[in-house]
Amino acid sequence: MSFIIANHLTRQYDLSDPWIVRMLTSNKRKQLTAVDDVSFSIDKGTTYALVGESGSGKSTIAKMVVGLLAPSAGAITFDGKMINDETISKADRQRLRRRIQMVFQSPYASLNPRWAVGDILKEPIRAFGLFDSRADQDKRVNELLDQVGLSARDANKYPHEFSGGQRQRISIARALSSQPDVIICDEPTSALDVSVQAQVLNLLKTLQKEFSLTYLFISHDLAVVSTMANKIGVLNEGKLVEEAVPSQLFAKPENPYTKMLIDAVPDFGKV
Amino acid sequence: MSDHLLEIKNLKITVATRRNVLNLVDNLTLAVKKGEILGLVGESGAGKSMTGSAIIGLIEKPVKISGGEIWFKGKRIDQHPDEVRGHEISMIFQDPMMSLNPLWRIGDQLIEVITTHMNISHQDAIKKAKHCLVEVGIDPSRMNAYPHTFSGGMRQRVVIALALAPNPSLVIADEPTTALDVSIQAQILDLLKQICKTRGTSIILITHDMAVISQTTDRVCVMYSGRLAEIGITKEIMAHPQHPYTKGLVASTPQIDASSFEKMLYQIPGSMPALDNIPSGCAFHPRCEHAHDKCRAERPEVLSNRAACWLLDANEGQ
Amino acid sequence: MSGNAMIRRFLKSDFFYDFTHAPIAVVSFVVIMVIVTCAIFAGFIAPTNPFDPSSLELMNGFTPPMQPNAFTGDVFLMGADDQGRDLFSAILYGLRISLFVGVMAVILAMVLGILLGLTAGYVGGWLDNLIMRFADIQMTFPSILIAMLIHGVARGILPPELRYEMSITVLIVAIGLSEWVPFARTVRGSTMVEKEKEYVAAAQLIGLNRWQIMVRHILPNVLSPVLVIATITFALAIIAEATLSFLGVGAPRTEPSLGTLIRIGQDFLFSGEWWILLFPALTLLALALAVNLFGDWLRDKLNPRLK
Ligand SMILES: Nc1ncnc2c1ncn2[C@@H]1O[C@H](COP(=O)(O)OP(=O)(O)OP(=O)(O)O)[C@@H](O)[C@H]1O
Ligand SMILES: Nc1ncnc2c1ncn2[C@@H]1O[C@H](COP(=O)(O)OP(=O)(O)OP(=O)(O)O)[C@@H](O)[C@H]1O
Ligand SMILES: [Mg+2]
Ligand SMILES: [Mg+2]
Repeated sequence: MSFIIANHLTRQYDLSDPWIVRMLTSNKRKQLTAVDDVSFSIDKGTTYALVGESGSGKSTIAKMVVGLLAPSAGAITFDGKMINDETISKADRQRLRRRIQMVFQSPYASLNPRWAVGDILKEPIRAFGLFDSRADQDKRVNELLDQVGLSARDANKYPHEFSGGQRQRISIARALSSQPDVIICDEPTSALDVSVQAQVLNLLKTLQKEFSLTYLFISHDLAVVSTMANKIGVLNEGKLVEEAVPSQLFAKPENPYTKMLIDAVPDFGKV
Repeated sequence: MSDHLLEIKNLKITVATRRNVLNLVDNLTLAVKKGEILGLVGESGAGKSMTGSAIIGLIEKPVKISGGEIWFKGKRIDQHPDEVRGHEISMIFQDPMMSLNPLWRIGDQLIEVITTHMNISHQDAIKKAKHCLVEVGIDPSRMNAYPHTFSGGMRQRVVIALALAPNPSLVIADEPTTALDVSIQAQILDLLKQICKTRGTSIILITHDMAVISQTTDRVCVMYSGRLAEIGITKEIMAHPQHPYTKGLVASTPQIDASSFEKMLYQIPGSMPALDNIPSGCAFHPRCEHAHDKCRAERPEVLSNRAACWLLDANEGQ
Repeated sequence: MSGNAMIRRFLKSDFFYDFTHAPIAVVSFVVIMVIVTCAIFAGFIAPTNPFDPSSLELMNGFTPPMQPNAFTGDVFLMGADDQGRDLFSAILYGLRISLFVGVMAVILAMVLGILLGLTAGYVGGWLDNLIMRFADIQMTFPSILIAMLIHGVARGILPPELRYEMSITVLIVAIGLSEWVPFARTVRGSTMVEKEKEYVAAAQLIGLNRWQIMVRHILPNVLSPVLVIATITFALAIIAEATLSFLGVGAPRTEPSLGTLIRIGQDFLFSGEWWILLFPALTLLALALAVNLFGDWLRDKLNPRLK
């Protein structure tokens, strides 16, 4: 059963000059098609990975799936409901939001430097009205910190007191705090060192089992993707050029671009 | 003389802060042979870039070299690095725009570098500049183009051409491909390998990626917390890493493997210590599952036959 | 965090350490503190109340500093003015008005600037254009001209009987409205940087509205440059107040600010009574200089890139 379905997603960015410049220079409007007719579906409890090089439209898709960005054409359904549906009520929209959360790429920019970690984690709990009493909220924060391998004492610290890997754990805890069904991970480890990357990837796997989470996992690193995904989609210049399960994709890639991408990964002379 | 082009002996780089003196690089000893690619690998903050900057003399206050020696072609250069900087040793940075002047045509930048370091006529310099561009795979007809008209990968090629123009015997490449896509990374690494082979130029390749090391370098030097953990022939270290940190690095690097998504990745617990909080003894001991009392008390050094780890001695004794 | 813990943390911070190791910053801070304390406690420090006409002795007019008056035998630290007012007391009370006007004008400019800058930067589009083009136009006029214009308009609107009572308020509004632009520009710039950061996207994801994101998330992250501009604007505001009062459109003669005192003093400069001009002018100079020097240090400290 498909949990998330992206149907002919397209997104254009307007790169035209301001109209006054266009009037003077008689330049035409310029549109950049960042995502071009992309369709895919994700089953419940599985990980779907999108790989592609810089500018291939990965983040644009992520933003459309969480509803931060409206598609120019096409639609996304999540558990039978349309995302970005203008007609649904505020309360329904908020209910949808709670179920789809996101982990971002930058360990530095994704946490508000002026907020203590406890407050960062409590904000979604309050926004979605999950626990009313202060004591319950505090308890929930401790539970979340514990789930991502941090300690309850860390709730009073500020983001700058943590390393990159620890901040990514806080980011994951924030995503978990609304008890979502789906987490979109946009390059969650590309700013981290390898040894810390392994910790974060393992944490994501453990949490997936524990809470039967569905992941849309975005990365430019095929090796990372191969350790995470049930299914992989390869993006090139906004188009989904190939989609397959890992065993098939790596054994016999069909698209020449996929082949090139796999060949370019430095081979690891491990015995 | 030995076949060592560059020798670093007991290098120590420190910075004095308000509360204490931090060791950015601590007692580092290594040598680069003629015509080899030496990898310098380690996680963020391990002191890789600092080591590179020390060799080429780009250490700036308040950071300073407070101990050790750097020898290049039998001459000690840590006191007067400007004698070799630029023509004998050159550097490639992660961000190509750091080395390119956005307002100059790339041909002019090349000619400028060539005429400052070599005593040749303008005509010859132009010829040489064209030759350099061909060598890195850029059409010489683009001599008159400005840097912003090139893609990231092409810019990095221009930077490599600039670095090679004065015929240096050593090139330090500090994460030259970290900002690039994998497909372009592969091309740039191939280019570096080819240059090393055809010109006999030695290269120090700084990176945090074990896969890049494995694919590109002849020998590798693993750094942890400003210290040398292990040094040796890349193939041997990849196959049989001695130091537990190297083992962890190798094992935790993800590989393309269709079945691996069912397994967990190997992970090293914890993270690299902050510079003002480096543990006693072996800096790695809090993260090492085999650490014993000696590891906590005494600092191990790299010896000719083993990595900087007390466990290796214990094993030999058994 | 408790107040005590916060103070302890501050005393241990690099900021405090750097402050204690920057002589200029310490000296200017001490000067500011001394002046501010004197102004606040003017009632206790000043020997006389210069605003109380009954205490004035006309016979004391033009007494030079530190010399007994020929008729009454009174001695004045900084001399007396034409009406026999003790200049030292007049300066302390004048400082009070100057500082009050300066602080209130800066607060007004700051609140207005932050509000407009934050909105322009976060909402963008035509609203941004509207606010920033208005700011551009205002910046083409010297702010003292704007202040005079606002002052003139206010006087025209206010009924005559209120003019006198409201003169300080009018002064504050005039100066405040003429200085909001630097605040708005800086805040808009930082807001545009901050709003692209992922923590803002995370806040949007949980359904916070624009206003909540602006106030709770972005505002705390754009405030540190505001502090720097506030100190520098404070110096400007005090000088603007003095200028306006000097030109006769500011504080009234009966409640003289530093600027009013300087205006009175310059009438007597060439007839030999130099002290009536000199002491108020020196005080203004010391205050403005100290605030500026402190602001410069603060700017270097908070934003090393601006150096
Ligand atoms: N707000 C925007 N306005 C205009 N163009 C944009 C905008 N955001 C993205 N783009 C363009 O859309 C294309 C796809 O961008 P996107 O961020 O989705 O790429 P990506 O695959 O995430 O790349 P990366 O690996 O660098 O993060 C790029 O060419 C980018 O320049
Ligand atoms: N001026 C300075 N004052 C204090 N510490 C400094 C200074 N300059 C660099 N450092 C520290 O020195 C350490 C070594 O830095 P270096 O740039 O050599 O690391 P690196 O191994 O190249 O890491 P990366 O992979 O992040 O480039 C870092 O922890 C860095 O924070
Ligand atoms: Mg992206
Ligand atoms: Mg570095």
